[in-house]
Amino acid sequence: MSLKILLEQENPPVIALEGRLDSNTAPDLDRMLDRVLAKKGIPRIVFQLGDLDYLSSAGIRCFVRARKAIEPHGGKVAIVNPQPGVQKVLDIVKAIPAGGVFKSVAELDAYLDEMQRKVREGE
Amino acid sequence: MLFWILAVSIPIYAAALYMSYQATAQRLEAGAARDADELATQLASSLDTVIRPIEGGVRTVARQLEEVNPPPEQYPLRIRGILAAWPEVYGSTIAVEVREDEPGSRPFAPYYYRRGAAVAYSDLAAESYGYSRLKWYREAADTQQPVWSTPYFDAGGGETWMVTYSVPFFRKGPADQRLFAGVITADLALDWVRNAARDLSLGPFDTGWLVSPPSDQAFMAHIGRADSHKAAGAVSFQEVARTEAEKMLARGASFALLPRRVAGEPTYLAVRNLETLDWRVILVMPRKTLLSEARGLLKRQLWLGAAGLLLLTVAISLIAAGISRPIHALAESVRTAEEGNLDFQLPDVTSRDETGVLAVALRRLRDSLKTHVQLRAESLAAESRLEHELHIAASIQQSMLPRGDSAAQPRAARVAAALVPAKQVGGDFYDYFVSRDGNLLFAVGDVSDKGIPAALFMARVTGLLRVLGNTGNSPERLLAEINARLVAGNDACMFVTVGCGVLDLSNGLLKYASAGHEPPLVRRVDGSAHPLRTESGTAIGIDAPVDYLLSQAFIAPGDTLVLYTDGVTEAESHDRVQCGADRLARLLGEPGAQDPSALVQRVIDSVGRPAAEFHASDDVTVLAVNLQPPAVTSRRDAAGEYWRIEAVASPNGIRQVQLWLRAILAARNVSPERMADVELTTEELLTNIVRENTSRGGSVEVAVECLLSADAITLTFRDSGKPFDPLAHAPPDLAQDIADRAIGGLGIFIVRELADAVNYSFRDGRNVLEIRLRRTPVPKGVSP
Repeated sequence: MSLKILLEQENPPVIALEGRLDSNTAPDLDRMLDRVLAKKGIPRIVFQLGDLDYLSSAGIRCFVRARKAIEPHGGKVAIVNPQPGVQKVLDIVKAIPAGGVFKSVAELDAYLDEMQRKVREGE
Repeated sequence: MLFWILAVSIPIYAAALYMSYQATAQRLEAGAARDADELATQLASSLDTVIRPIEGGVRTVARQLEEVNPPPEQYPLRIRGILAAWPEVYGSTIAVEVREDEPGSRPFAPYYYRRGAAVAYSDLAAESYGYSRLKWYREAADTQQPVWSTPYFDAGGGETWMVTYSVPFFRKGPADQRLFAGVITADLALDWVRNAARDLSLGPFDTGWLVSPPSDQAFMAHIGRADSHKAAGAVSFQEVARTEAEKMLARGASFALLPRRVAGEPTYLAVRNLETLDWRVILVMPRKTLLSEARGLLKRQLWLGAAGLLLLTVAISLIAAGISRPIHALAESVRTAEEGNLDFQLPDVTSRDETGVLAVALRRLRDSLKTHVQLRAESLAAESRLEHELHIAASIQQSMLPRGDSAAQPRAARVAAALVPAKQVGGDFYDYFVSRDGNLLFAVGDVSDKGIPAALFMARVTGLLRVLGNTGNSPERLLAEINARLVAGNDACMFVTVGCGVLDLSNGLLKYASAGHEPPLVRRVDGSAHPLRTESGTAIGIDAPVDYLLSQAFIAPGDTLVLYTDGVTEAESHDRVQCGADRLARLLGEPGAQDPSALVQRVIDSVGRPAAEFHASDDVTVLAVNLQPPAVTSRRDAAGEYWRIEAVASPNGIRQVQLWLRAILAARNVSPERMADVELTTEELLTNIVRENTSRGGSVEVAVECLLSADAITLTFRDSGKPFDPLAHAPPDLAQDIADRAIGGLGIFIVRELADAVNYSFRDGRNVLEIRLRRTPVPKGVSP
């Protein structure tokens, strides 16, 4: 039981997590984030959690770290498809603001399309 | 034999003799009647022969007197003529009737009688005599018929005892009518009668009398010279005989048995009347005399019979000896056989009789006995050889089972097992070993038969189990593989039920598959035992391919898996109640030692011993696996089940604690959600401690305790780190976005959110953090 980290897309980064994200495996994700966050101006980071079985506070710190890195530059962290146990932990600590968690990739895409339309209208 | 032959023949012989004697006696009796009659007739007629001429003579003289009518002066001449003519006549007279109507008629009766050789005269007409009144005269005169008088003493006449024959005579009267003229007589002296009787011969009779008819002056003369019969001589008997004779005459009988015995003897009487005198001849004969001839015959027959019996006895003795001597000899030689010597010599009996047949039969018996004993000895030898081989087979079979010594024991579990075969070698088996990947593989099986074929089949199964099980096969695949191999070429159509489990000793995960075998029981820490939920497939050896189903379950540390064969559950009590899985479950929960070998022993003691509560007719096999990781201790607590897990303060140590807790909670059917809560709680709290430990150089001791009650899970974390109350820190301000918060304190926050109660204390140098969670989580409001 460990963590599998898959960088599904480079830009903007889409990271799929599989297994357990706990104090043991959080450093692995941190290393991945080090690499991803090295780039400036990342509009968003998407975490695919469909296959993540377990999440502890150590993992939540990774998400928080990502938020702290990109939100000052208008970036956003999106969580897609968390399992109930994971969702529960996320809910407890309110690690992701409302609107940052999506049930599926399609929901995220629909949200992103909506945002782009708003940006265009605003321009 | 001799005795019996005599015992039978003597009564038969005696009966024959008796019947012959009776027949002879009857014949003799009939003969005696005839003889007596003849003799009496003969005696009577011999007297009649003498007397009849006298009667005739007297009657002739009477006729002459009537015809000639001589003058009375001539009467004496005629009287003397009578005496002269018949020397037997004692005396005679012609007595004239006195007629009142005729003048000159006067009594006249000259009487002449013998005195010695001379003839004497007496005048009966004398006044003193008065013949006309006397009986001898009056009877003839009154009846006008010749008549014999009864005996009387003739006083004044013959002066002796006599009987008189009186014949009336007549003359012509004036009118030519027949007038009674007087009586002419002839006397017979009784002396003469006595002598005449004496001169008669009695023949075979004892006694005989000549007897006058009954009257005042009865007279009896003995017939024959001797009166040999004393009793017959007695006066009383004479009277009896005489009375009886009269009765016989009255009813016309001539020969009869006297109504009473004479001198103790039945006695015959024969009687016959004389034709002349009205006298009787009476003959007496005791039955003894009559039967003396028969007795003589009997005596002869007895002697002959005795001699015959003696001869028979001798003959039988000789024949019996001829038979029994060889039989004794045979018996003597057979007796030597009783001492086990079957080579005994039988005596050479060659005769073709029954003894010879017996000897031949005995010889055959001896020979077939010898053959039989030899065959029996050979079969006994073969049996003992087989027994020996069975013994070796049994020990080989036992050696195929894993030894229960500590070398075979895995580190994180204790295993015990026992197999009690119903026969020397059995069809049950069990096996357990730690496979190459570190899991504990165990199996229990029951081959469809008992004895050598079952044992051989069992050997194949265990061999395959060892080889295929060591490669880390999952049990359902393992069973499928073994099945595929055993179905091929299973001409004996044997099959085996197998229950096979693979227990991960690092986390309590049990993988189990069953080929038609009874589901195992899981004995929990609290003593209750429950059947493991399993899916069972076809027994091995019947069909291929078979896809066996895998069952997975967690075993809590301290729990004991008990596998068994149906020999246990089908064992019967004395009233034919089967032990059954429920009874077995209760048996496992009984107080006492709870380690696997004690449990196994308890089961064997209940069903596998001769004096046990249940009697097993099949092989009995029990295998108990007790998961006992070194870091975990367990016990039954008043509140529920209790575990204590010693943790290594490291990330891996945390993981291990989580694994054991998962095993415990899953084994007790705690919901996955709650299990996740416990996992998270454990991680959050232990991570803090590990971090502390790392900073202090790795000397912190950590233990997690888990108390499982009916409704709650209580986790207690103890560590030897410096006193630290995580609850003392203020909870993070959730209103503020996490991105703006300081990272830290999140873990304890999560724990407090998940738990129903949290309590911290510092006791005995330990931080003690107690977390209580309900088994079923109550939804609680999460603050926005």
